[in-house]
Amino acid sequence: MGEKFISERNLRFLLYEVFDAVSLTRYPYYADHSREMFDMVLETAMRIGKDMLYPTLGEMDKNPPELAGDHVKVHPVVRTFMRECGEGGWISAIAPMERGGQQLPSIVNFVPNGIFAAANYSASVYLLLTSEASHLIESFGSDELKETFIPRMFSGEWQGTMALTEPQAGSSLADIATVAEPTDEGYYRMRGQKIFISGSDHDGVDNVVNLMLARIKGAPAGVRGISLFVVPKKRVGENGELVFNDINVTGLYHKLGYRGCPINQLSMGEADDCRGYLVGEPHKGLAYMFQMMNAARLAIGLGAAAIASAAYYASLEYSQVRLQGRRMTEKDPATPQIPIIEHADVKRMLLFQRSVVEGSLSLIAQCYQYSDLAIVSEGDEKERYSLLLDLLTPVAKSYPSEMSILSVSQGLQILGGYGYCDEFPLEQYYRDTRIHPIHEGTTGIHGTTLLGRNVTMKDGRALQLFLEEVQKTIGAAEALDELKPSAQKLRDALEKLQGVTAHLLDIAKEGNREVFLADATLYLELFGIITIAWQWLLQAVPVQKALRNTDGLSETDVAFYHGKMYTFRYFFGYELPKADGLIRRLMETDGLTVEMKAAYFSD
Amino acid sequence: MNIVACVKQVPDTEALIKVKADGSGIEEGGIKWVMNPYDEYGVEEALKLKEKNGGEVTIVSMGPARAMETIRTALAMGAEKGIHITIDKADEYNTAAALAAAIKGINPDIIFCGQRAIDDDSGQVGSILAELLGLPVVTLVTKLEIADGKAKAVKPIEGAQLLIESQMPCVITAQKGLNEPRYASLPGIMKAKKKPVDVKDAAALGITVQPKAKIVKMTPPPERAPGKIIGGDDPAAKAAELAKLLREEAKVI
Ligand SMILES: Cc1cc2nc3c(=O)[nH]c(=O)nc-3n(C[C@H](O)[C@H](O)[C@H](O)COP(=O)(O)OP(=O)(O)OC[C@H]3O[C@@H](n4cnc5c(N)ncnc54)[C@H](O)[C@@H]3O)c2cc1C
Repeated sequence: MGEKFISERNLRFLLYEVFDAVSLTRYPYYADHSREMFDMVLETAMRIGKDMLYPTLGEMDKNPPELAGDHVKVHPVVRTFMRECGEGGWISAIAPMERGGQQLPSIVNFVPNGIFAAANYSASVYLLLTSEASHLIESFGSDELKETFIPRMFSGEWQGTMALTEPQAGSSLADIATVAEPTDEGYYRMRGQKIFISGSDHDGVDNVVNLMLARIKGAPAGVRGISLFVVPKKRVGENGELVFNDINVTGLYHKLGYRGCPINQLSMGEADDCRGYLVGEPHKGLAYMFQMMNAARLAIGLGAAAIASAAYYASLEYSQVRLQGRRMTEKDPATPQIPIIEHADVKRMLLFQRSVVEGSLSLIAQCYQYSDLAIVSEGDEKERYSLLLDLLTPVAKSYPSEMSILSVSQGLQILGGYGYCDEFPLEQYYRDTRIHPIHEGTTGIHGTTLLGRNVTMKDGRALQLFLEEVQKTIGAAEALDELKPSAQKLRDALEKLQGVTAHLLDIAKEGNREVFLADATLYLELFGIITIAWQWLLQAVPVQKALRNTDGLSETDVAFYHGKMYTFRYFFGYELPKADGLIRRLMETDGLTVEMKAAYFSD
Repeated sequence: MNIVACVKQVPDTEALIKVKADGSGIEEGGIKWVMNPYDEYGVEEALKLKEKNGGEVTIVSMGPARAMETIRTALAMGAEKGIHITIDKADEYNTAAALAAAIKGINPDIIFCGQRAIDDDSGQVGSILAELLGLPVVTLVTKLEIADGKAKAVKPIEGAQLLIESQMPCVITAQKGLNEPRYASLPGIMKAKKKPVDVKDAAALGITVQPKAKIVKMTPPPERAPGKIIGGDDPAAKAAELAKLLREEAKVI
């Protein structure tokens, strides 16, 4: 049995045929890179995924982290992996060279991150958190903080975290209450409680560096009073020794899935000796933290697509060997049964999964491309890419997160009864992927962000830029006869999206903000479907070009391109029409959910 | 120490291999190519020796243009430089002769080869290479120590282990178990591009390829019958069914 969890061919397709990652090497910032290197990155990551991470996928689920006295015990592969990530340079991959990084484009770093997440999502999170937390210190921290923490995080010896959530402050970060009291010594004395903090204590590393949001004593209420601190589990003493920093793990949650990574409850300052070090200026913490949150959101979209990818390949393999039933036209019960992949309905389920997986991966790669281009460009152009990235981040987080659940569910369905049992990994993938619409902002919160903030930011310029990008793809597709009808469908959908947006913004103008945002989640869903249709059309262009002359292509390549075309057609034929129902609902805006009274849920 | 590691690019073990219609070889289109796994043990051992004793590791590979990828992989693992012999393919003797011609000028203290390549599976090149260079060879090595200018190598044989002491320079062919090959690192990958690789054809090496053996015909193995999954919840009933199938269908018990 093969144990495929992600398609290398598809990663190469996205990297080279759709997004032309090699073109980034024209910019001085990326000039030291080359396609040869990108290939080696892919191959090395595949090996780590196959040899180290995938084999422990089930074990980490069945032996979740435990509280052992004052610390959390995790699977030993966490230490091995973190060390490899340190020595291999994977934690510092995208950091600038002058900081000890490799200056890898994010669209290339997308490859190892996607591979690791598909091989073993829980394990991949230790790397991501450390990488993103170190970038946050790098962007806003003092030299002293950088020197103290970044090298040990880059080496994989110290874990990074993002510590935001508190019992009374989940979605509502404005309610954060952890207190930081200034001292004369330059540090702050921290007191408070955090919950659900991923990776915030474990024995796979020697120390944990929490990037924590808290309120400096006397700070104004709301988000304008939130500051960012580095609060390590063990602080560095005067002689370089590590000293316990009075952060206690007071609980460990038992989760539905994604069990290989602990989420802990932390209590700071029980002995009044928890030191925090301010990052940047006071009261600007949330704005700083958005850098990490936005990076984490793309990583979560990627994680969701990656789990769906692993589930897709597991169900594909099963469908090829499971014999059940006969063709509809076969009347003779004595003929042998056929593999279920021959049934149209099973192919439909496979196509659905592939359309979600490869559509989502494409959108995430697109966002990373904008992020890379924003780094190397200036002025208007820089703003353009930043706005596109900003606009699309909630979509790139939420579409894969929500659809991964449905996609994995279809994969599980393909295994029938075995899908529901733990001999096959589908039931684990189903549990694992359920987290994604919850952490890093629930889908509801992202709906409100997209409709309530992003589509109108800079007087609607971000949305305008997005429409232009989609139209550019429609233009390229229209030049190819085979794609013309789909290009027209996307043009129609895009017009309707503009209509819905204008309609909703009118309601906002009338001052009815609650009705305006009541169905923001559905607006996000609609936006997601149209955005993924765009990404499928974008992929179809090089596919069509390749299929025009297949002489020099290998059999596997030809099959790959035909498979792409069918999946593209599947998305336009089966998924894009779902936009119509959403549009109908969104145009109605009768305020039903606003009017429904809490008291009526009496039964 | 002056160390050489020979590497061959082979199809990935997971690649779907198809024999060409005329039986002359395999269809190469769409195949993923990797470093021969036994050569990886050789490269790793070479790097460990260098890290311990100083010196440098030279990677030598014979093969078509794509073999350069495998050389770069070894450079990304930490080797210093490479020699690419641009002869697409040759029989074992001529392969060894080409390697010998490329290595001669280097005067290595030790040479590593994989115990065999997983594509042709002949296991001859390391020994012929030693012969051509007039060096001793220890094959199938699972443990190696260098002390007092001697190589002490452990080689498993049926039911026992041999500890073989060899003078140096010598050729070592690496077997699984010798070490755990490292992964390439990102900084290593970045540096690999800038490391020197000498590209030499047969003429530059002063050799001509005159095959001593040739593959007459390649035929695929017979197709395997599809597997069977035994359903049911009762382990005893499943075991009984399995025993029945093994006896009646597979006829192995
Ligand atoms: C596995 C896991 C890992 C996590 N890792 C971390 C971590 O590393 N760091 C960290 O800081 N946190 C972490 N969290 C916390 C996570 O970010 C929060 O659970 C999430 O933000 C939601 O907050 P909550 O659980 O308090 O839910 P609530 O905020 O109580 O939300 C409950 C429901 O109400 C809805 N809702 C809430 N407010 C509104 C509103 N204003 N309008 C409309 N609907 C609303 C939500 O959409 C949701 O459906 C993690 C959580 C889990 C489960």
